[in-house]
Amino acid sequence: MNALEVRELTKVYPEFTLDKVSFFVKQGHISGLIGRNGVGKSTTIKGILRLINAEGSVSVFGKDFLKEEMVVKQTIGYVGGGFRYYPMNTLAAIRKAYAPFYSTWNQSKYEKFLSQFELIESKKIKELSEGMKVKFALALALSHGAKLLIMDEPTSGLDPLSREEFCDIILQLVGEEGVSVLFSTHITSDLMRIADDIVYISQGKILAACPLACPLKELLCKYKLAHFSSLADASAVNAIGVKAVKKGYEGLLPRDMQISESIAVTDATIDNIIVHLEKENEEKKHVKSN
Amino acid sequence: MLNLIKKEIALCVHPTAFIFLFFAVLVFVPNYPYEVIFFFSCLSIFFCCMMTRENGDIAFSCALPVKKEHIPFAKMLVVFGLQCIILLLVGVIAAIKGAVLPAEQYVNQAGISANLVLVGNGAILLGTFNLIFFPCYFKKPDKIGVPFVIGAIVVFFVIVVFIVLRWVTPLYSTTLNGLNSENTGAKSVALAIGIVIYAVLSAVSCKLSIKNFQRVDL
Repeated sequence: MNALEVRELTKVYPEFTLDKVSFFVKQGHISGLIGRNGVGKSTTIKGILRLINAEGSVSVFGKDFLKEEMVVKQTIGYVGGGFRYYPMNTLAAIRKAYAPFYSTWNQSKYEKFLSQFELIESKKIKELSEGMKVKFALALALSHGAKLLIMDEPTSGLDPLSREEFCDIILQLVGEEGVSVLFSTHITSDLMRIADDIVYISQGKILAACPLACPLKELLCKYKLAHFSSLADASAVNAIGVKAVKKGYEGLLPRDMQISESIAVTDATIDNIIVHLEKENEEKKHVKSN
Repeated sequence: MLNLIKKEIALCVHPTAFIFLFFAVLVFVPNYPYEVIFFFSCLSIFFCCMMTRENGDIAFSCALPVKKEHIPFAKMLVVFGLQCIILLLVGVIAAIKGAVLPAEQYVNQAGISANLVLVGNGAILLGTFNLIFFPCYFKKPDKIGVPFVIGAIVVFFVIVVFIVLRWVTPLYSTTLNGLNSENTGAKSVALAIGIVIYAVLSAVSCKLSIKNFQRVDL
């Protein structure tokens, strides 16, 4: 059974469409939802949590979200990019209001997280740093025994040290508590550090190169980065998402493709893959519109 | 639902909502349009909604294990509770005023006297505000100003209507005016009509608000 299954999630806005997004998150896995700004990562998360009226179905641990909303929400911990709520209230006041909603709330576990994360309950939210806000959101989410963490850009706005600390916490939680995680990000170093799978969204769609939750290594093994001296060389081998760089051109090539030795190739990083696949997509879109 | 109501009171009710309850003592002010007391109650709703927005409360609440329709319902139940308290306080303090002040000081030259009819009028005012403000607010919870301004204009219009009625109709200027001990039956009927109108308008407001909120994308 998968922790999360999203099928054909669709939301139409006048200027943007989330188009039949389908993917799953395996139990005990960390899945990264990646893509550039404005491609639909947050819309996907809001669609999953029914914060927006989207079409399609969502099931959590085999339970349909709509039919068993109350039960499903008990198993989800949502961390929406830090904790932007109730800035003038203390952590204690928020916890007192939050805890009674969860029948499985574990106060001693919450206190353990507070001490681990060095949070002081008498502080107000506005007095916390961005990193501390994320930790507080995590403490709340995990103290009711959430089995699936859904996080919308939890590391954006954090300094490198706090991001590293956050990644350590998530890895520890997955290892010790067995939680499954879906988190959106555009910081690929975090993804490389902790994610087992990726879900790559581009222009409101799951990218064709990665139709379902795709093992990260598989995606990295799928492409190599080729360096060309001219655009003609790149076109000759149908390189993907060719773009000019300081010295010549760069584009992606399928790893199993046989090419002449005159073309220099290196391992593609996740950043390379995103940049070139996005460029390819934009070019296709441009051709279509013309 | 009880947890949502508790959360509302703990995190979303603006302090003015409680402070304005004490404005019920304004019934002791001589020659004052006492219906204005109920406008302060409407103003406190505006502050509570501002607080809800600034706290990101609706997004926070939607992620909790509650049904979406429970969120506007809980918010409105809290408001209805506060409104019932102000109506009760005005009724009680008006009765105290009637008991302690001489009859000539009880007469209000700016509108109806502080009696049961005033409470009925207040109920109509609050019900009217609920009907206008909440369905509009829950359509776009980030836009509070426009629903409030429309609601406030209508409330003041109804206040003016009550004041005009007090001066031009014998029913309001004689039968329903003055101490509760005079024409108690008629005043009780006016109070009951006000309460029924409040209940109907608030129920309709609740239904429309829930329907509108279901369509909101956060």
